[in-house]
Amino acid sequence: MSHSKAATIFNKDEKKVNWHDKALWFVRHKRDISAHTVKGWEELRSLGQGIKAHTLSNLDTYLIQFEKNALNNGVQVHWAKDGDEHNKIVRRILKEHHAKKVVKSKSMLTEECHLNPFLEAEGIEIIDTDLGERIVQLAKEPPSHIVLPAIHKTKEEVDELFQEHLGTKPSGGDPQYLTGEARKHLRQKFIEADVAITGVNFAIAETGGFVVCTNEGNADMGAHLAPVHIACMGIEKLIPKQEHLGVFLRLLARSATGQHITTYSSHFKRPQKGNEMHIIIVDNGRTEQLSRPDFRSSLHCIRCGACMNTCPIYRRSGGHSYDATIPGPIGSILSPGKDLKEHSSLPFASTLCGSCSDVCPVKIDIHAQLYKWRQIITKETPQPFVKKFSMKIMGSIFSKPKQFEQVGKIARWSLRNLPKGMINSKPNVWGKERDLPLGPKESFDEWFKNRKKDGQ
Amino acid sequence: MGSRDNILSRVKANKPEAIDLPKIDLNVFDDSRNVLDEFIKKVETAGGNVFEATSSENVVSQVKTMFPNAEVNFSNLEGTQRFNSFSLEEIKNPHDLDDLDILILEGGFGVAENGAIWLSDNKMTMRVLPFITKHLVLVLKKDNIVPLMHQAYQKLDSEETDFGVFISGPSKTADIEQSLVIGAHGALSLSIFLV
Repeated sequence: MSHSKAATIFNKDEKKVNWHDKALWFVRHKRDISAHTVKGWEELRSLGQGIKAHTLSNLDTYLIQFEKNALNNGVQVHWAKDGDEHNKIVRRILKEHHAKKVVKSKSMLTEECHLNPFLEAEGIEIIDTDLGERIVQLAKEPPSHIVLPAIHKTKEEVDELFQEHLGTKPSGGDPQYLTGEARKHLRQKFIEADVAITGVNFAIAETGGFVVCTNEGNADMGAHLAPVHIACMGIEKLIPKQEHLGVFLRLLARSATGQHITTYSSHFKRPQKGNEMHIIIVDNGRTEQLSRPDFRSSLHCIRCGACMNTCPIYRRSGGHSYDATIPGPIGSILSPGKDLKEHSSLPFASTLCGSCSDVCPVKIDIHAQLYKWRQIITKETPQPFVKKFSMKIMGSIFSKPKQFEQVGKIARWSLRNLPKGMINSKPNVWGKERDLPLGPKESFDEWFKNRKKDGQ
Repeated sequence: MGSRDNILSRVKANKPEAIDLPKIDLNVFDDSRNVLDEFIKKVETAGGNVFEATSSENVVSQVKTMFPNAEVNFSNLEGTQRFNSFSLEEIKNPHDLDDLDILILEGGFGVAENGAIWLSDNKMTMRVLPFITKHLVLVLKKDNIVPLMHQAYQKLDSEETDFGVFISGPSKTADIEQSLVIGAHGALSLSIFLV
């Protein structure tokens, strides 16, 4: 389904859409307040961008350095070319430990690899432990936002889900009560787990260590209680040195939620005595994206979600409308690189206003890349007849000034005189929810010439 | 060719020409704020509470007044063994810490810009301790606060740790309709005693 069709479904519940829009804008606002307290914020963003660009240009060297140091630290390192290989590596480690119960803290990579259904088919219990992730897991839905996975759910919906699955009492959606019940339910899962899986926010080549950031403490509860810890990372998570964390940890939480830092920024280097630690380094299309000069900087992304919170389209269409692991503006420049045809509507789900690029902590030119994907998609995938035909006509009108002037005249007259029903007829999708402005009497060109004559 | 070599050779073939690593100029970020005031403000923003104490014994007695009903307690402050309701050596499995009410630890150092405190393995023996406890109490020397994360990592450059964590405030979530709830999986409260 195209983004616009899916967005139409999301927009049926107007009240919910308005709430979604406002809630995300509020998070964007908190980001602004927090970023403005930092002296040199723009320089900090430039550093983030520069360090990431440098790292990508030496990525093979840094990957080898990271692997060497991690091995020296007593960590086992695995490489996976795609999601399938990643999942099989996880399965192999679980089998070696006869593991039946797994707790997982938030990792967009394991979502991307569809790890959960893969392990469930093997009879393994895999529990998402981030509260938002647990909510969408119980609802059998994918996350709709990378930082706020259940932002599309109302508290009443969560109440019902918890009644059904956790046996809670009806509370009318009391967040305090529901969070408390989730804490009890998941505490039990942490205690029982054979293996803990976490994502990786940053991997440090210099030390072989990695950092995981959470507010809930779920990554730590999992990783320190289970005898085996598996950390899954894409190749682009690397940074050269530990001191660079100083840049990225200052940027990440402020951009994500407006906090100055997440509650827990955990630095893992060596396994706890008697325990095992594994790192799986995954490609899954990333080296392909690295080959595209116009799009490789999309790999700078540190997954803060700021571009989603600020995007007027995302806020009003919801994450599920994108039908991709990473929704929103950043997802719309990542996904076409994986499957151009399947995700061909995503780069068009944007007003190209550029707000995403303005808030991006690592200065990815997201809106420019959306525009570039549009050029490629229009050339390489079949376009609807109406769009192709009207573009052709527009192109010919715009190339002939005389004709343009005449058509403009007719259009302005029509907008003033034709009945609304005719103006907002079916081919005019703009008129579905909105009216076009009343046509002015003269064109800009006419106004400008007259103005000159008057000597003003 | 295995996946490792496959990935590495693809990276090598597809990466752009070498780009220089930018240098971090700390002067750009110097905001000349008072580190102690800033630290206290940021801890409170993150949902933590800040107190003053005169000695380790003083910390323990204040904590006892704050949590009169706590039963399972542990402190690693010097000279406060009487506060402990068990000995860490008895704990065979970290799971047995599930009923821990209060944990008092000496913090490494603080970061003014975000109210975070560094804790490392060296001070924790069992990594799960500061996460599994219901209430976390950290003791910090007033003169051991750095302004920004950059200075924090300068400090950590000379510290060799297997595991370490910056903790800022109690655990929290806003995953249900963006309502902030303190106490997700980790500690329900964080109290910081400045000495």
